[in-house]
Amino acid sequence: MSLQNDPFLNLSNSIFNSYIKEWQDSNKKVVGYYCTYIPEELLHAAKLLPFRIRATGNESTELGDIYMVRFTCSFVRASLDLALKGGFDFFDGYLICNSCDHSRRMYELFHLKVFNREGFKKKIPRFYISVPHVITKAGFLWFKQEIEELKEKIEKNFNIKKITNEDLKESIKIHNENRKLLRDIHELRIQTVPKITGSEALQISMANSSIPKDIANQELKRILKVLNDSEGNKTNQKRIMLVGSIMDNTSFTELIENAGALIVSDFLCFGTRNFLDDINVNGDPLESISKRLYYRMSCPRMMDDHEKRLNFLKSEINRAKIDGVILQRINNCDLHGCDNMLFEHELKDLDIPVFNIDRESFQADTNRLQTRIEAFLEMVK
Amino acid sequence: MSERVIPYNILLEIISNTYELVWRIVPDPEFSVLKEGLKTMEVSLTSGIQKAEEGLPVIGHHFSFPSEFLSCFDAVPICIEGTSYLLSALLPDGCEKYYDLINNWGHPYHTCSSQKGPMGMVLDDLFEFDVIATPTAPCDNTFASYPFFAYKNIPLVITDVPFIHKEKSYIYLAEQLKSDLYKIGEVIGQKPDFDKLKIALNLENQILNYELELFELRKAVPCPVESMINPIVSGIKIFSSGRPEKLAFFKTILNLAKKRYKNKELPPGMKEEKFRSVWPYMTIFFDINLCEWLDRELGMSVLIDIFNYNFEEPIDTSSEDKMFYGMAKKAMNYPMIKESTEFFDTFIENFINVSRDFQADCAIFTSHLGCKQFGSIPQILREALRDELGIPMLIIDVDVGDKRFNSIKIIKDKIKMFTNTLL
Ligand code: SF4
Ligand code: SF4
Repeated sequence: MSLQNDPFLNLSNSIFNSYIKEWQDSNKKVVGYYCTYIPEELLHAAKLLPFRIRATGNESTELGDIYMVRFTCSFVRASLDLALKGGFDFFDGYLICNSCDHSRRMYELFHLKVFNREGFKKKIPRFYISVPHVITKAGFLWFKQEIEELKEKIEKNFNIKKITNEDLKESIKIHNENRKLLRDIHELRIQTVPKITGSEALQISMANSSIPKDIANQELKRILKVLNDSEGNKTNQKRIMLVGSIMDNTSFTELIENAGALIVSDFLCFGTRNFLDDINVNGDPLESISKRLYYRMSCPRMMDDHEKRLNFLKSEINRAKIDGVILQRINNCDLHGCDNMLFEHELKDLDIPVFNIDRESFQADTNRLQTRIEAFLEMVK
Repeated sequence: MSERVIPYNILLEIISNTYELVWRIVPDPEFSVLKEGLKTMEVSLTSGIQKAEEGLPVIGHHFSFPSEFLSCFDAVPICIEGTSYLLSALLPDGCEKYYDLINNWGHPYHTCSSQKGPMGMVLDDLFEFDVIATPTAPCDNTFASYPFFAYKNIPLVITDVPFIHKEKSYIYLAEQLKSDLYKIGEVIGQKPDFDKLKIALNLENQILNYELELFELRKAVPCPVESMINPIVSGIKIFSSGRPEKLAFFKTILNLAKKRYKNKELPPGMKEEKFRSVWPYMTIFFDINLCEWLDRELGMSVLIDIFNYNFEEPIDTSSEDKMFYGMAKKAMNYPMIKESTEFFDTFIENFINVSRDFQADCAIFTSHLGCKQFGSIPQILREALRDELGIPMLIIDVDVGDKRFNSIKIIKDKIKMFTNTLL
């Protein structure tokens, strides 16, 4: 059995799905969000469905371009474009944080242009959390307070009497299990005979962020079984680690894997960054949720944590027996662009083959990329 | 000449030459703001270079870590962004060589040129920083670019600026600022002298009064201050904060403006004020002559830009705690930081009010390649100005520090065409 045409993976190809419909039919609410720095567990404990915003399938940015200048990230412009076309009208709320200068403005733009557009009647509450850009004790206390305030706002806006510690603990359990399952799948990906491709791993991660977690956990268990029973990929392909900007579609991963390589690990936010760390189940649950989010494997928005990210890359390169690293950024993404700049020098100093490239969220001219990727793969031992 | 701050030596040399030239060739009162600005910056740079020659520590700082905060040290403050853009303003090819150096090293082309310059200079060993201080604001470029300095083994002190203006934000930042000054002190082997800091902050309080008076005068029709004031003030804020020459600058410019206002005089060279423009972002640094061209050729006053429209309250220096609280408030309301640490509604509302108060008849938004946090604002602001005041706004894509992105000719052509539609 393979994962080709697996119904769970297929969920990643669209935005809305039957699980969301079912959820809303039973009078429950959906909250959209962009960034992995938001506390999914808290939303889940409030009986809300967190939906991670993607623009998968939307190849245009035309409407988004009206409100965002052309040197903003094409992923964000495509998601705004989709929102303006009504793609996120099913939301009952949205939660934004100051992840990057591009996506953080969706707090204002969604409000002004999407959910207040003519003819759109539903009132969509919006929430914001301010995440520090450094990892310090004071920063943690700030962040924890933000999460506490968010809890109150959610209770108030969705008429929830109280999100209890029991609700939060239950939610932590489900989410820890979810991350554990993703890690287990990842282990099957990095082994000598990988049981899953990079494109499939990406699809799993996207699907996982689009449906209720208890259902996702069932599905991940099923997938794990399928993978455990499979023979895996015995061909002698180059083993690649993929690093950088967000990917919400498989066009780029397919480009690499069709060129004769296998992406056996990654450092992406629809990837390892999302499931490496767990929440401590003892102690105050809200504090534990805040702790995991704040101290977890960071992305380049955390200004003083590059070394930790580099160390992860180094250990993963060893563990997954990586032949070469592809660093990529969506054009205009300064955060990943600069982090990649440093990675490139640091990895080259360690004699690790590195390829650093920019791309668009949806790549129109794949030929250019394909040629360059093939040339890099040629070079990799 | 100090080998540790070579770009500052270059800057001083060009400033002195330009100043001498302008002073000798151009009769008074022509180019008064430029002359005064150059004179002021010459004094500040000379003092910095002298200190560097004495062997005092060199502290690099982000422009939004105001240099007066560093006056508690016996040191040479070097503004990263200011160095890039002052060189862009004064040399024909500006900082291009250093932009290219760092770009070739891997810095993405779309990342802000204000940091590219000194990054390239560090690659070229032109600066020897003992420490660099930066806030986590105003933009991704800052978070993303500064770790390069740490990679180059320069100690980096990072002050976290929270998003959103709330009481708790000022308290949080005040604590950060204080402990970060101690951290800087540890690196350079000095204990921060808060008495010295107090003197600088009090001086800034005094300057603020002049700035506010000047701000009011600039509302007059015709505007009595030349457009050049905008880029020059940003330079003065960056290079001369907390220093007596900044006070002298504002005093002189204010007196000049008062005189012109009384006599209903136009700035020198302007025949008629045909257009009153506001620039919600900034003017161009790679060619500050643009301002003269606007005054003289188009009769367009640049009434206000992002460095000149908003003012913090004076800092209460009566106790250390109050001082740091005031500094935090000031830092969060500093140009660019203010706009990027709050939702854009406030910025839009402010610029509608400014445009109304200044009786502007048009706006020009230079959309800078680096500034992604502003990337979602131009169209919203354009719609708001049109709906609220009925005034049009031109948006021009630029790199304010690199002429190769959009040349001055293209920029002038666009403005000219725009003004044709206003007549
Ligand atoms: S790819 Fe970069 S710019 Fe785009 S949303 Fe992610 S962090 Fe922001
Ligand atoms: S000009 Fe804009 S992008 Fe550049 S440092 Fe300033 S705020 Fe950041």
